[in-house]
Amino acid sequence: MRNKMMLGLMLLAAAATTQAAAQTTIKINGYAGQDPAIVGDLINRFVKPALAKDKINVTYEPLQGDYNQQLTTLLAAGNAGDVFYLPAETLDGFVATGKILPLNGVVATGPYINSLNAAFTRNGKTYAIAKDFNTLAVEYNKAVFDEAKVAYPDNTDTWSSLQTKLTNVKKALGNDYYGICLAPDYARMGQFAFAAGWKPFDSKGKTNLLDPAFVRAFNYFTGLAKNKVGVQPSEISQSWSGGCLGTGKVAAAIEGNWIVGFLKDNAPNLKYGTALIPKDDKTGKRGNFVYTVGWAINSGTKNKAAAVKVLNILTSPQVQQYVLEQGLAIPSRTSLQSNAFLKKTDAGAANSKAVFDGATDGTVRPYYFGVQGPDWIKPINTALAAVLSGQKSSADALKQAQSEMNTFQSR
Amino acid sequence: MFKKNQSTATAYLFLAPFLISTLVFFVYAFGRAIYYSFTDFNLFNVPHLIGLKPYADVLNDVLFRRALANTLIFAVTVTTLQTILSLLMAVALNNKIRGMGFFRSAWYMPSITSSVVITLIFLWLFQRRGVANYVITQFQMYQPFILAFVGILVVAQIAQVLFERSRQLPAGWFDPALAAISALLAIAAIVVLSFTGVLQVREVPAFDFQYFADVWLSIGGVQVLSIPLLVIIIQNTFTTIPTLMLFFLAGLQNIPGSLYEAADIDGATPFEKLMNVTVPMLRPVTFYVITVGLIGTMQMFDQVAVIGDAAPQSTLITLAYYVYINTFKAGTAPVNMAAAGAIILAMIILVMVFIQRKFFPSEASV
Repeated sequence: MRNKMMLGLMLLAAAATTQAAAQTTIKINGYAGQDPAIVGDLINRFVKPALAKDKINVTYEPLQGDYNQQLTTLLAAGNAGDVFYLPAETLDGFVATGKILPLNGVVATGPYINSLNAAFTRNGKTYAIAKDFNTLAVEYNKAVFDEAKVAYPDNTDTWSSLQTKLTNVKKALGNDYYGICLAPDYARMGQFAFAAGWKPFDSKGKTNLLDPAFVRAFNYFTGLAKNKVGVQPSEISQSWSGGCLGTGKVAAAIEGNWIVGFLKDNAPNLKYGTALIPKDDKTGKRGNFVYTVGWAINSGTKNKAAAVKVLNILTSPQVQQYVLEQGLAIPSRTSLQSNAFLKKTDAGAANSKAVFDGATDGTVRPYYFGVQGPDWIKPINTALAAVLSGQKSSADALKQAQSEMNTFQSR
Repeated sequence: MFKKNQSTATAYLFLAPFLISTLVFFVYAFGRAIYYSFTDFNLFNVPHLIGLKPYADVLNDVLFRRALANTLIFAVTVTTLQTILSLLMAVALNNKIRGMGFFRSAWYMPSITSSVVITLIFLWLFQRRGVANYVITQFQMYQPFILAFVGILVVAQIAQVLFERSRQLPAGWFDPALAAISALLAIAAIVVLSFTGVLQVREVPAFDFQYFADVWLSIGGVQVLSIPLLVIIIQNTFTTIPTLMLFFLAGLQNIPGSLYEAADIDGATPFEKLMNVTVPMLRPVTFYVITVGLIGTMQMFDQVAVIGDAAPQSTLITLAYYVYINTFKAGTAPVNMAAAGAIILAMIILVMVFIQRKFFPSEASV
């Protein structure tokens, strides 16, 4: 009897093992923070039901801390996920590892916005499919403008007309209020340089920060701080300009669609509107960044077919529609650009619309550091911080930034 | 013979855990680092030997030269400060006073607190709207009060001492009893003056100095020490003094009291006793403290990593941080340069310790 029971148990165990062996597990690496909840939701709602019959299980493992460093370590050790997030700005370093599977002929790139595909393409090979994207827009606090009796920023604004509006707000409301928050960050200033006609890299891959177009944009951005019309977030104990807008003491901020969720949670009663980034008075053009993160496949995956299936579901129209309607991100599929959600009039949807339109209006470039990686922006950010806090003149700061840039680019 | 072998085997058995971890985590790792420093390794490729090129690249790298300068300045300054201050503190705490145990533990607190936490606290202290700038602003605002207090105190003290001396009484300029009375007088005078409106708080703009910015102390146009690094020097000295103080305290307990008695008979002042008895007798401890201090400061990493992007890179970068940022990038990384940098750092530390051994014999030679 006992022997029979043992045999039964062993058979059961054996059956369980074979079942487990047939089950393929696809591991996904991505950001920590809100992403585990969002991607977990997507996996449960869309991926698991679609793949249940294929015996494919999907898990999400967020990487804490610096995502790029963590992913590098995992890739080098051979422990990275089968599918993972790949930021466009650090694409080159990862492509050079040979660990990113080129998706040409594996996944159809046709349905996605061209500029997003371009951000993930090197030498004709596309390495990731854009998960979603963001651009910058001007978010403004309606109550502050109403109280100052100044017209809201709008899509016809130029650099100078926006500056006038912000200055008038400061004049009307005095010491406790500010026109705009200015983070000393290339990611919030570079779009003005694009509008003025500056290219981050010339044909030899060098960066010229003394280009008149860059200088003009740099001076416009730092000039907004004059007479305390603009402040750095740190001066009012905030860590970013979204936080500034949330205090209700700052009239405007330049941010992307990520500000919507933040304001919903942290300043639910704040009435805000969104306008496109103002046009350069001289060129009559707008400039903008497109920030994007893509889904990439590990070239060392043992389950390529399954990984491709997972990637296709995560970028499917249904998933993107869901993400858009939850107000989480802007979809990368061209077909969703006329989605009803974007025609809604609430503040969040209006912001999504402006961020969406920003991607195709004027000179739009990917947020990208070049082949040498993230240290590229450091000289620019140092110069911005030095001028915004009044330590250096713009000319001195830019001269130093250029010399640091030359050193960096000759390494 | 058999017995001897057996005891050797036993000894190795007891040493095994340490030996194995040393072999794996030190000897093997060090060997790998030396190998990588002569190759083109980038974390993902198969390494090929390319000779001394990584060393040439590192030495030509401006960032490396800045890191080297920062590290040397940091190591020398902090080691000097912490050795002198911890010795003085140990001497002060070596007295037999009631409640000395409390003071010893209180002084030791900074050393057992995580350096990451202390760095964060220092970041808050020295940020633009931090405590440091606040205290300076307050000082400027209350400057009339402070100056008046000091002035009245000095005048009252001089008057009292002269009065005492006129009565043929021996009174020193810094007599504590008279100073206490002078201080009370000064406080009373300040209270009166502020109530009558003679003294008023000054209106000053908030002191707005950015400590974590690209600001340097220069000598002859050469950037020597950055303000962010100065903040870390203060912090590091503050946190390491207590540990080193313990070593000195232990050393002080071993100095025979008869030496001090002899010095007393010779009429030595406290300062002479410190310089001629305590310091020479503590020489072996000092050697240890300086060696540990130099090695620790040459490898300083955590404070810089915590501050990270809050300050411009060149103001803070140290050799250990240079090694780190060249190893962990987005994707491929110049690990060969990082390895070469690490080897150079190890060589510098080795040379420093040798020089120090030469000029600072570890045996007490009294």
